[in-house]
Order: sequence, then structure tokens, then C-alpha cells
Amino acid sequence: MRCLLYVSCWLICAACSSSYKKLQRTEADPLCISAFRPAFSRALYHAQVNVTGKHLSGLLIIKAMPDSSIRMVFSSEAGFKFFDFEFDRTGFKVHYIYSQMNKKAVIKTLRKDFELLLMQHLNVPRSYTLKSDGNYYHVFPDGRDYYYYITDSTCTNLLRMERGSRKKRVVEAIMHPGNDGMPDTIGIKHHNFNFDIGLKRLRDDTER
Amino acid sequence: MHKFVLTGMLWITAIAAEAQYPGYALLQNASSFQAQFAAASQKTNTVKSDFVQEKTLSLLAEKIVSKGKFWFKKENAVRMEYTQPFQYLMIINGSNVYIKDNQKENKISTKSNKLFRQINTIMIDCVNGKALQSSDFKVRIFEGKTTFMAELSPVNKNLKTLFSNINMVIEKKDYAVSRIEMHEPSGDGTSIHFVNRQFNIPLADALFAVR
Repeated sequence: MRCLLYVSCWLICAACSSSYKKLQRTEADPLCISAFRPAFSRALYHAQVNVTGKHLSGLLIIKAMPDSSIRMVFSSEAGFKFFDFEFDRTGFKVHYIYSQMNKKAVIKTLRKDFELLLMQHLNVPRSYTLKSDGNYYHVFPDGRDYYYYITDSTCTNLLRMERGSRKKRVVEAIMHPGNDGMPDTIGIKHHNFNFDIGLKRLRDDTER
Repeated sequence: MHKFVLTGMLWITAIAAEAQYPGYALLQNASSFQAQFAAASQKTNTVKSDFVQEKTLSLLAEKIVSKGKFWFKKENAVRMEYTQPFQYLMIINGSNVYIKDNQKENKISTKSNKLFRQINTIMIDCVNGKALQSSDFKVRIFEGKTTFMAELSPVNKNLKTLFSNINMVIEKKDYAVSRIEMHEPSGDGTSIHFVNRQFNIPLADALFAVR
């Protein structure tokens, strides 16, 4: 019993331990990652979402609008619309969300996930770079959220993206670029609860 | 005086309807259409068809086009197999829905899922013609050159948040539904156009099996 208590305490401590504790400040330019910012014009993705044991799939269209904002519309394969979000340099707008998803926490989580992908926080004033084991963590703090873009030491490969606090990782995302500046696949995984999103690009008639 | 007002109102309604659906005129008396449509629906036991689905996103000036195969078997079994630009299978059989995408298979009971229950009912009722008798909708029938259009406006608050109206295009030659258009309050919408339709051919129950 004592052993079980010890193991439980150790597991809890391990879970609470800092993801970014061992990183050290370095002089590299954090804005080097702007080269990896996805240049969306119009892309259609087949989306797979797993949330707390439930599975959902659908189509996500991402489109740059003439006013340079980005619209994201997620609907089921049969056409039922779940949400319609707008992102621009200064803000975020919900044009539509299905009533059962219309919860502050859901909208906030999705907003932050997509902002991580769109690299919406590169203009914050206090950005800096940390390093560990040859990986560089380019950090963009925004309030209590910290957006991390992890590259190799020469900033030629974007390895992954993360969002978390100053100490702890909350979300991890990867993006595989296509040959037109828009990602072919995107993966988002939450570490604080069971929620992941997988996006795979579709080439429909519009793009052929 | 009252007669003039009534005639004027009917005339304005007819003009407004014409403007809403060019090429169509509102049928003031739809009883003959209703009878013919009900008789044709009664005779239709199975449908096999290809379909083209268009999701229109008005503000984005976008259309997402997908294609696939469709099967219907009386009373309430539908199979939709999307083949382009993605693979997706949906079977509705009574109160059960089976979904298979690239990653997973899912079986949903519409008894516990309100959204699926609503969509399921609308889909089945549009295909078997019962939507025209449904108390969930106010129905107006329009007549065009080769087709009728049934405009279904939701009556209940829940459906109104999902659809401003659902239109069914019905062929005059055989009273079969050739297109279903679902219009959302935002101006977006989804239309399903049925092509290469075959009626009353034998369809195995296994096509609609929800395992």
C-alpha cells in the first residue's frame, strides 16, 4: 500500500514536472520561424476529431479572404455546419457555431489551437529563444499563454509547435508542408485532456 | 372591398414567390399535386442513384462538391456512399445510423442523439415523400416547366436554427425527387442532386445493415 502511494505521488509529480525547465536562453532570432507560417489561399481538409472517447469527422475549409483575414468552416461530410471562424491580425470572430458546441471553453480551445497553427502571435513584443539538446524553442508569450515553435539549431526545419504556460506544455501540433505553401497534413494533440485533431488535405475539383 | 384586398394580397404573394424562385409559380391549390406525389411515393419501394452534393458557403464564395452513390429502401433505410473527394459511408436504418470514415466505424442510436435524429428524419422523409405531410414544416408548392418545387419552412424553433427552408425539386414526369436543397439561416446551404436514378430494383437488406 505504501509502495502504491509512493508510485502514485511520483506519477503525479512527473505529470506536474516542467516541460520547459531545462531550457536555456540563447540569442537566436525567434522571428526566423515566420518562414514556416502557412500561406493559406484556399485549402480543403478531411478532418478527424477525437474528443473524450468520441470520434467525429468532417470537412474543414481554410480560405484567405480579400481583406486578408482567414476563414475556417468545419462541416460534416453530409454538409451540416459545425462552425465558421474568422481570424485576422487583430482578432477573432465566431460567425457561426452549432448550438451544442457553443461553449466558451470549446471556442477558446479551438481558437488557440488554430492560432498556434496560423502563427498569429509572432508580433508580440517579448519574444525570445531557448535551447536544449540542439533544439531551439522560439517563444511568443501572450498573456498567460506561451506559444513555442521548435526548430533545429539553424532554423531550417520546423519540428513542432506547442502551446502551454511558462513551465508546462498543454498542446502539441505538427504540420507537414505541401508544395504550395499550405500544409498537406496537420496534427494537434492536447496533453491536458483527451482531444486530438487530424487534418489531411483533399484535392477537390476546385484545385485540380 | 375585402375581395380587392384579398386579390391584391394573393397577387403580391404570387409576385414575391416568382421573384424568389425564377421560373416557378406558386400553386394556390396543391391538392392534385399532393395526390399524385403521394401515389408515386406509395409505388416507390427502392431507389438507386448517383448523387452530387454541393455545399455552398456564401460569404466565402465557395462550393465544396462531393459525389457518391445513394440507395433507399422502404420504409426508412438509406445508404449514402461518398466516393469523391473523400471516402465516407453513412447508413440510416430506422433509428440507427452507421458511419464509416477513413479512420473509424461508428454506430449511433438516434434515440440518444438529437442532431442525428433530426437530420435522419428529414433525410428519410424527403426521400419517401412524408416530409410534405410533416407537422414540422409549413409547405408551399411551386410549379415550373418540367418540375415542381416543394418549399418546406420549419415551424419549430430548433429546426429554424438549422434551416431557413428545405426545398425538394420533384420531376413532373414521374413525381420523383431529383434534388434536395437545405438552406441555412446564414445563407449557406447544401444541395443533393440525384442522377442516374433507378426505381424499384431489388436491393439486398445487407446494403442497409447496421452491424
